[in-house]
Amino acid sequence: MVDLVLRAANLTKVYRGRRGHAPVDALSDVSLDLERGTTFGIVGESGCGKSTLARLLVGLEAPTSGTIRIDDQPVVISERSASRELARKIQLVFQDPFSSLDPRMTVGKALKEVLTVHSLHTDMTSLRASELLSMVGLTRRFAERYPHELSGGQAQRVAIARALAVEPEILVLDEPTSALDVSVRAEIINLLVRIQDELKLSYLFISHDLSMVRHISDDIAVMYLGRVVEMGRYDQVFVTPLHPYTSALEDAIPVPNPEHERSRQAAGAVAVHVQVDKVTRGCPYAPRCALVEPRCRDTAPTLTEKANGHMVSCLVALDDAQ
Amino acid sequence: MTAALLDIRDVHIGIIRRHGSDEIVRGVSISVAPGEKLGIVGESGSGKTLTMLSVLRLLASPPLGVVKGEILLDGEDLARVDAKRLRAVRGGEIAMVYQDPMSSLNPLMHVGKQIEETLKAHGSSPLVASDRTREVLGQVGLADPERVRTSFPHQLSGGMIQRVMIAMALATSPRVLIADEPTTALDVTIQRQILELVTSLQAETGMAVLWVTHDLGVVASLVDNVVVMYAGRVVEKATTTQLFARPTHPYTKALLQSLPGTGSSHRSALHQIGGTPPDPTRLGPGCPFRVRCPYAEEKCAQAEPELIDRGEGSFAACWKDPSQW
Repeated sequence: MVDLVLRAANLTKVYRGRRGHAPVDALSDVSLDLERGTTFGIVGESGCGKSTLARLLVGLEAPTSGTIRIDDQPVVISERSASRELARKIQLVFQDPFSSLDPRMTVGKALKEVLTVHSLHTDMTSLRASELLSMVGLTRRFAERYPHELSGGQAQRVAIARALAVEPEILVLDEPTSALDVSVRAEIINLLVRIQDELKLSYLFISHDLSMVRHISDDIAVMYLGRVVEMGRYDQVFVTPLHPYTSALEDAIPVPNPEHERSRQAAGAVAVHVQVDKVTRGCPYAPRCALVEPRCRDTAPTLTEKANGHMVSCLVALDDAQ
Repeated sequence: MTAALLDIRDVHIGIIRRHGSDEIVRGVSISVAPGEKLGIVGESGSGKTLTMLSVLRLLASPPLGVVKGEILLDGEDLARVDAKRLRAVRGGEIAMVYQDPMSSLNPLMHVGKQIEETLKAHGSSPLVASDRTREVLGQVGLADPERVRTSFPHQLSGGMIQRVMIAMALATSPRVLIADEPTTALDVTIQRQILELVTSLQAETGMAVLWVTHDLGVVASLVDNVVVMYAGRVVEKATTTQLFARPTHPYTKALLQSLPGTGSSHRSALHQIGGTPPDPTRLGPGCPFRVRCPYAEEKCAQAEPELIDRGEGSFAACWKDPSQW
């Protein structure tokens, strides 16, 4: 029996349009299961709905429809005070640590504040603070420091320590390495893997950096225009991608290998990016797709299992299965 | 070896104080030939952006200033030219694309008008400027150039804005294009399109390109030669092929190793450089990388190495030959 820490079912989020504008479907019918102690990676371009998904999961916004269950209990987000206890179990780490830390609060105070917010009456003793800091590889002297005295990597470590302060079960990591220097990214990724093993944490890792997602994730969902277009184990998605969009994303990443890049240029591979706001009929990816067929413009595919839990939403890819 | 088009010679940039100055860029020499694509790699604080800004005399002065060195465009020292000539060079012969495109455009003016202004400032008639604006917006691969031309910046996506910035930079047919991390904030698919665009435009026009980035993948796909900066100095210069095949500075090697690649296994520990970059105003004697360097020895604490020829076009500011690592 699989131990699921988080189940999101049929999540949909529609933002009301501004006057004279149509409503925006930020998320359409997204379902995912997060197994305890594992990492679920979510990739896609900006505007694909990955950050909306993060906001719904941590309870910053209520979904238009659909359900979220943590530890098999439904999360209700309609009222302000509702399910604090469940909200405690899922914490968010943002992309830019400096804009998520209060510049006028010392690190120690920031750690303490989380406990107050969650009305946990345990004290943030200096012992607990230094324990949290050492967990993320900082000495207890950092408790006295202000954010401006930290480097990017140190600030992101503090943000992680703060998320850990309430002993969550799930961390939602929204582009946690994108704002950092290349040399610091590896440190943060190594840290995340280490504390996941130590604390049996589950991660939702959102990023457009496919090489990092592939490195850290057990399962991966590829999102496009608010929908999941491909989902499966990391090796399924990256070794044998089914959806043409996944392949296009893969092709677009510059590989740190000049030979490889030269052969790409010789082959004339082009990743096409077309601005698509809304597709009313057929497959939403059809306007950009290299493998598009006439039927794709009429019939919208649904996310269907092709093999061993490897799901894809593409008429052409599903046909090849037979 | 062709003569350098833009030659940055031994440039020192410092925070000017009442008594002396604290140097944060310490003797950087970088040159590009016509038609060359050069990558400049380094982490934040390594001085790469300051060096590029100094070329067009755009340093925030005070407190920053070029304390020493020359910047030659075809032999003409840009530090000494008068204001009129400087205006002609900026955006004319040397164009620059900045990292944050949203804050580089006027939010209250149609983007097409802003490109026209650049052209008019460099001597085009209104009619020519308007034609040329349409032409360059088409060249950068925007799907509907006419609509973009009459849009305000907030009506365009990040990728479209960045292409507008590139169109603006290219409008005057510059001889040198300086791009400071222009694709860092963009999606990989748009980044790929911009890299292909710059490659093809560069092949057409023969301009020199200086591409500042910390993405080694971008380096591999775009540039011919690479300069690696650390703590305000150039620590390695090499051809792109050599840099990846045989890095000759330990810092470059560490950077390459820290990337999750096809070689590293799933969830295995990535190589960490360890430590933090030094404060460039508080460097003692010796190599600034030595505290993070696995190959450091006694000599490294005593004297800072200059660039040493390591063969095959590679130069590294490291006492140790890579064969002794």
